[in-house]
Amino acid sequence: MAEDQFIRFLAAWALVHETADEGWKAAVARGAGQETGSMGAGPEAFVDGLSAMVAEEKERLKASLAAGEVEPAGSKAGLESKLDDLLFEVGELRGRLESMQTTLDAVLAEAAESGEK
Amino acid sequence: MSRRTGVITRTFALHWARALPGARFGFAPRATRRAAFARATRLALEELGPAFVKLGQVASVRPDLVPPEYVFEFEQLQDRVLPLPASEIEAVICRELGRPLSELFDDFEREPVAAASIAQVHRATLVREVRPVIGEVMPAGTPVAVKVVRPRAAGVIEADLAEARRVLGRLDRLGLSRRIDAPALLEEFAASLASELDLRNEGRVSDRFAHDFRDDPFVMTPRIAWTHCSRSVLTMEYVEGWRLTEIDDAARAGVDAFHLAVHGAEVFMRQVLVLGRYHADLHPANLFVTPDSRICYLDFGIVGTTEPAERINIAQVLAATVYGDADRALCYSAELGLVVPPHKQREVRERVGELMDRTLNVPGRPADIKGFATGFLSVMADARVPIPAGYGLLVKALVTVEGVARAIYPEIDITKSAKPFATRLIAAHMARPDRIAERLPAALRAALRELAS
Ligand SMILES: Nc1ncnc2c1ncn2[C@@H]1O[C@H](COP(=O)(O)OP(=O)(O)OP(=O)(O)O)[C@@H](O)[C@H]1O
Repeated sequence: MAEDQFIRFLAAWALVHETADEGWKAAVARGAGQETGSMGAGPEAFVDGLSAMVAEEKERLKASLAAGEVEPAGSKAGLESKLDDLLFEVGELRGRLESMQTTLDAVLAEAAESGEK
Repeated sequence: MSRRTGVITRTFALHWARALPGARFGFAPRATRRAAFARATRLALEELGPAFVKLGQVASVRPDLVPPEYVFEFEQLQDRVLPLPASEIEAVICRELGRPLSELFDDFEREPVAAASIAQVHRATLVREVRPVIGEVMPAGTPVAVKVVRPRAAGVIEADLAEARRVLGRLDRLGLSRRIDAPALLEEFAASLASELDLRNEGRVSDRFAHDFRDDPFVMTPRIAWTHCSRSVLTMEYVEGWRLTEIDDAARAGVDAFHLAVHGAEVFMRQVLVLGRYHADLHPANLFVTPDSRICYLDFGIVGTTEPAERINIAQVLAATVYGDADRALCYSAELGLVVPPHKQREVRERVGELMDRTLNVPGRPADIKGFATGFLSVMADARVPIPAGYGLLVKALVTVEGVARAIYPEIDITKSAKPFATRLIAAHMARPDRIAERLPAALRAALRELAS
């Protein structure tokens, strides 16, 4: 998901610069201990929360690198989702046609019946 | 005055009169007084029957048109009526699907699963295999729920609606419903009715939801059998499980309730902030927990939408709220159309801040979104700040999601799910190239200052 990429990027950056400074570490600690609405401090609270998330993502990244996982190629994932969307649209149209056909058959049957009378 | 109009007027008057002691004849604190009248109004609507119940249900998702205490009181309205005899329902099915019942379904159960004023639901099994839009083929013998619009439903409701229009018109003239925008409500009601009478709409929204969440193993929605559907008939896979209204501790023990509750909140965040389509009136009767630990979504009545440009502002408001930043919450609310006039800003900000402390930030207690939302809407109402329709719908939906999550896992704090979601979205927004280009010079200057010092 696109909205994860920036955090990933920050996490990668934090990983490469493993010797993070004290201010950063303090922000992470504050963010991790945050309770909802407890800071009342505005932008700093947000930055602390974000820092904690980046730190978490960094640990995940570290673990996945250590496990030798490779990222899926972005273009392939994009293609797959495009294909999914297309398949869905075709399926949806088929559904519409099927229920229209049912209604049409019903009307034809009714017409035939009233013609017989 | 027609007889029915007389009945309607008397019913309201009677219930309001009964609320007087509860409101201590007007001397109780404002919130107590308002709650007592909201309850009386709900009881009156229930007594007046289906059209009024439906009207109340419509009102319960429109905090922009009715005061908050009504919004949260009316959500308890249950649209349940005596079922019609199965033969009448079968006649609708055969006429609309053009075949005898036996060629369509086996084991059609004559006792309905549920009966509401517009439609009733029967259980049956498929005679032959059906291929849905999404998911595996449903083989012959698959249990299905057949939802059928009751014959005459439209006529009955429209007649009552006309009556309601007259009564509300009179209340309006008497100035009794000063705080309710009755004409707008009736308009909304008529529109929602028209769409509910065509069940294919519901089927389509359901398929779309299944597509949106195709990669989510914890969420499901019944597959639709389109060959067995028409305007008044919707045939879908029958879902086994517990309705959230009936889930008990034994059921909770069998599934991962905490995880499901958190996931339910995340599904909503994803709908609002990423997909741009969300359920605006989930009520617990329309959500199931399945024995294999999934959440099943039924009945897609009202769907809200969010535009990409709005989503970032919504994320900002959410983040500001969960990070306890009243200033920021109001600033981004203004972007969404909730504009507090300058001379009231200080007072509103103080009250919202105080409300945050009281509802979201109580040590040892999960955040209370419903309490916050009710208070927030009241602050706005007192300051005479109009609530934009989309904003109100979203606030109400968020409260509903909290209610739903709590039905699954009572101690849940949904702000814990909202926080990472909103934070991530805002972070992504921060990194947009145009924004970086705009802010980089200032950031560079700051960096240089830092290096030079
Ligand atoms: N696919 C299904 N599987 C199992 N039960 C179902 C299914 N669809 C509907 N039901 C049952 O029927 C009830 C009513 O269905 P639904 O909510 O769709 O109808 P409704 O007329 O819109 O009622 P309301 O909006 O008042 O809840 C549900 O609460 C549920 O118990």
